[in-house]
Amino acid sequence: MRLTISWRTSGKLAGLLLVLAVLVLLPLVIRSPYLIHLLIMTFIGVVLGMTFSMLFSTGLITLGAAAFYAIGAYTSALLTLNAGLSFWLALPLATLMAGVIALLLGSIIVRNPGVAFVVITFIFNAVVVEAAGGLRQLGGWGGILGIPRPDPIPLPFYGPVEFITKTPYYYLMLALLLLIMLVFYALYNSRIGRAWRAIKLSPALAETLGINLYRYRLLAFVIASSAAGVAGSFYAHYFQSIIPEAFGGWTSIYIQLYSVLGGLDFYLLGPAIGAAIMTFLPEFLRVAKEIEPLITGALLVMIILFFPGGILGTLRQFPRLGPASLSARLGEIKNWLLSGRNLR
Amino acid sequence: MALLEIRGLSKYFGGLAALSEVDLDVFESEILGVIGPNGAGKTTLFNVITGLLPPTSGRVRFKGEDITGLRADQIARRGIGRTFQASVLFGQATVFENVFTAFHMHYQQPGWKAFLRAPSARAEEELIRRRVMEVLEFMGLAPLKDELAMNLPHGHQRALGICLALATNPKLLLLDEPVTGMNPVETTTMVELIRKMRDGGTTIVIVEHDMRAIMSLCDRIAVLNYGRKIAEGSPEEIRNNQQVIEAYLGKKK
Repeated sequence: MRLTISWRTSGKLAGLLLVLAVLVLLPLVIRSPYLIHLLIMTFIGVVLGMTFSMLFSTGLITLGAAAFYAIGAYTSALLTLNAGLSFWLALPLATLMAGVIALLLGSIIVRNPGVAFVVITFIFNAVVVEAAGGLRQLGGWGGILGIPRPDPIPLPFYGPVEFITKTPYYYLMLALLLLIMLVFYALYNSRIGRAWRAIKLSPALAETLGINLYRYRLLAFVIASSAAGVAGSFYAHYFQSIIPEAFGGWTSIYIQLYSVLGGLDFYLLGPAIGAAIMTFLPEFLRVAKEIEPLITGALLVMIILFFPGGILGTLRQFPRLGPASLSARLGEIKNWLLSGRNLR
Repeated sequence: MALLEIRGLSKYFGGLAALSEVDLDVFESEILGVIGPNGAGKTTLFNVITGLLPPTSGRVRFKGEDITGLRADQIARRGIGRTFQASVLFGQATVFENVFTAFHMHYQQPGWKAFLRAPSARAEEELIRRRVMEVLEFMGLAPLKDELAMNLPHGHQRALGICLALATNPKLLLLDEPVTGMNPVETTTMVELIRKMRDGGTTIVIVEHDMRAIMSLCDRIAVLNYGRKIAEGSPEEIRNNQQVIEAYLGKKK
């Protein structure tokens, strides 16, 4: 029994390190640029899904995640092309831009949670796409081409890392993903994350406990949108071209699906699993692009109807077998029995 | 000067007056009962005082400061805590997490330090964890700290609701039906706890249907009927007040 308990506590960390090691070593084993590309797209999807989940953790549902993805991509593209900045400077500036716009928009819209927020974020997303398509200065519907690659990183001993093959992009996006995950993890496990959960579970109770709903929701909106900006900046310099349609409302629905499929209550792991499945599955099924939205839509409806907890939530519901679960269950019963006497 | 001064407070829902021109004073260190038939506006009174509902007209002053129209979290920060009628808790969170969250206002260290896990912020969090356990022990919930709040039996949920309010360390505590649905033993325990809180320096306003509990506990009682205050006085005066008797039992024909 002791063995199982110690496995459960240290097992989490061991599992995490194992996944990390696999992800770091993967490009050495996989020779296919196509697979590396899918992994890079998965990482981007995980970041975007995590931004949806962060807002969800405060009781807000956004259909505008792709708008901030677009703002990051366009800011970064225009700064490097028009102002001649390096990607390494454009990346933080694009992040900042997404954050500032989120601050301006959020200070108005997070006061109205519920359907109003869903609708406004969706409209904002459409406005961003229309602006990018309609304004010639932003590239128009043809998009922006010829976005430069990131400047080489001069590594000591190893020599400069050039962004030509997919592998350096893979490691760059993996690093960005891990950094964002770490930041999000630290937030969720601080009193900030506790306040977010409280707001989601019962806004009225949270407020009477002195939690400023508006400020905490705005904070989540700004942080999540900044992270989407990071993903957007990377995307622009990875594809070296961007078109408005890539950031449309449909993309926002996809992002939502990552979180819903993986499990809405798992703010980091849920989007990771959801994004991986939604990136790889259609590729392996060789689904025609035209009917993909149909399948995606049907999938979303089915998950919400039959597996509201997503993959992770459904797995958690299955009772674990073995002595550890048995003793835990007995402990619960004992506590419950004892509880009757407690108040007396 | 009264700790809480309510003047001409009205709240309309459409054409319906849930509160109508209510004047009420709450004095330091007293236990004030607010009673009245169902729908008399008792809970609305609490919601307006704590800022969850804006009043239609009238003022609320706390410690001499006008708090009318402030947000609920701003009012909570000024020292007014409350419990809810139904078991409004963070149901999906454990008992410990519930109370831990309720200590939100007591952090001195800035949020970015908590985010970066600065030693000062970690020490503060450790201190608050200990205070959470103190509150849980005070209310007899310590052995249940890892249970989900929604799985607790009714009496314990009520106790947890009070834990949350206590954690905010209020000067004035509004209790909405703290003993309703409890068995006599639980009620006695709760009445003792409420006395203990008052002796600890907390002023208490209590809405309750359990007349025995109200009569034994309260220094003064105010009676609401159809949103109006129809009587105010000592338990003895209220018991013999003709208007109150009519409100509860109907007029003699």
